[in-house]
Amino acid sequence: MLRREEIAARLTLDADLAVAVLTSFIVDTVAGAQARGVVLGLSGGIDSALAAALAVRALGGARVHAYYLPYRLSSPDSRRDAEAVARHLDLPLTSWEITAQIDAYFDAVDPEADSVRRGNKLARERMAILFDQAKKRDCLVLGTSNKTETLLGYSTVFGDHASSLNPLGDLWKRQVWQLSRHLGLPAAVIEKPPSADLRPGQTDEAELGVDYPTADEVLYLLFDQGLRPAEVVACGYPAAAVERILALERASRFKRRLMLIARLSGSAINLDLELPRD
Amino acid sequence: MVTAAPRTVRVGLAQLDSRLGDLAANLERHLAWIARAREAGVDLLLFPELSLTGYRLHHLAARMALRPAEAPEIARLAAACKDLTAVVGLVEEHPHGGLCNSAVALAGGRIAGIHRKLQLPTYGLFQEARCFRAGDRLDLFPVAGTTAGLLICEELWHPGLARRLAGSGAELLAVLSAGPGRLGATPEPASQGDWELLTRATALVDTCWVLFCGRVGWEEGCFYPGGSHVVRPGGEIMSRASWLEEHLLVADLDLDEVTRLRARLPLLADERHGIEGP
Repeated sequence: MLRREEIAARLTLDADLAVAVLTSFIVDTVAGAQARGVVLGLSGGIDSALAAALAVRALGGARVHAYYLPYRLSSPDSRRDAEAVARHLDLPLTSWEITAQIDAYFDAVDPEADSVRRGNKLARERMAILFDQAKKRDCLVLGTSNKTETLLGYSTVFGDHASSLNPLGDLWKRQVWQLSRHLGLPAAVIEKPPSADLRPGQTDEAELGVDYPTADEVLYLLFDQGLRPAEVVACGYPAAAVERILALERASRFKRRLMLIARLSGSAINLDLELPRD
Repeated sequence: MVTAAPRTVRVGLAQLDSRLGDLAANLERHLAWIARAREAGVDLLLFPELSLTGYRLHHLAARMALRPAEAPEIARLAAACKDLTAVVGLVEEHPHGGLCNSAVALAGGRIAGIHRKLQLPTYGLFQEARCFRAGDRLDLFPVAGTTAGLLICEELWHPGLARRLAGSGAELLAVLSAGPGRLGATPEPASQGDWELLTRATALVDTCWVLFCGRVGWEEGCFYPGGSHVVRPGGEIMSRASWLEEHLLVADLDLDEVTRLRARLPLLADERHGIEGP
């Protein structure tokens, strides 16, 4: 039986090698697409900070275009932290407020829309802007979603979840923290509670109902090591947390296999016909 | 005084990055690397698994398939191999239908042998049995004054194959690989630890030289770490290429090391067959 501290140790990466591999991924993908560089949204959070730091190492700052796209209810801390990350990486930060188009839409069509719909709309508006800027600049959109939040479905489909390439997609949240510390990113960004900042006072862990270290370890045991839920509980994790994580993963599978095509032929895309992406 | 000419062979491991699905570009690069190896005085040059096509072909495999005896691409490669032996990886159209993941040895301006991969991994991210038919025989190849056995990647994980080749006279086992990389807490890729455990154990128990030629680059988000290496009979690593970079690793092998070790450690001669029981 694995003990919790052994499990945590297994999720530690050699940071130098991980950074070398992830920067090589960015270099290779951008070159393969014959793109000029990448665009990304800097939210003030740790994931986008790490993605930006990797991109700057891979491509140099002149080929990395960072955007801060706040709404009127965004936390002032987010702006402060996004600016700190941009300063730290010596990146110009383009800041455009997106309040006008978001409020215009809901005022016109549905003033009663709830906060989840409004949050999704924010995430999609930001990604629409990033893809448009990428087109204008002949760049790729750099994704910033980590493996933990992706498996828990803690993202907006076609919003923050969308990208052209994602160097963080196979990193557990604790590995995002580890690499961010390794690269010396601003402490305020590393230490603050993770938040999507789609609503005032929102934090990931309160909304998910489980803390990230637990989520990392439980997901690792379930999906990397192939333990059954009861075996995970026997490793010392609360049954309620394991059940919550399982429920979140199950409910969000549609987000991880985006194209659902009604198969009619013998060459249905991605079912019969698997063509390489590259 | 007794003198005997030392039996040596200079080997080259071409740790390169193949372009997925671009046979023409890969062919030119093979020709360039063969010329480089010839200048370096290499007798036996190995390329990675599926080096002419890239690995993650899925349903593009059929479009990449060659009949070695008739293909102009192979004729050009063979013509470049008048004074050295090169082993390249390709998708082969099997004489009786179907596609094989094959290694073709070229020497003296012609095809010296073909090995068709016997063990097709079809688990995890591997889908080889969906694209390829398995080969059905092992062969020994005379190379530069010695006898070599060819193995392709997964075949090293089935140690009976290496044992049979060594027991039948192979002094040198050449492994062509396109094994994808994984990271862990160690400064080398975690996947490398597995490979070196296998290559070193093979060199120890089969008392032979083991050459492991891996590749670098990215395909569909999978990276190939490199780390090609040469293992002495007995299991000591003689030399190793770097991670993540193309590299031509050249090493001089003393074939009499095999003779001396087999005299001291007669594992192959002592092997018993036909033992009753499970």
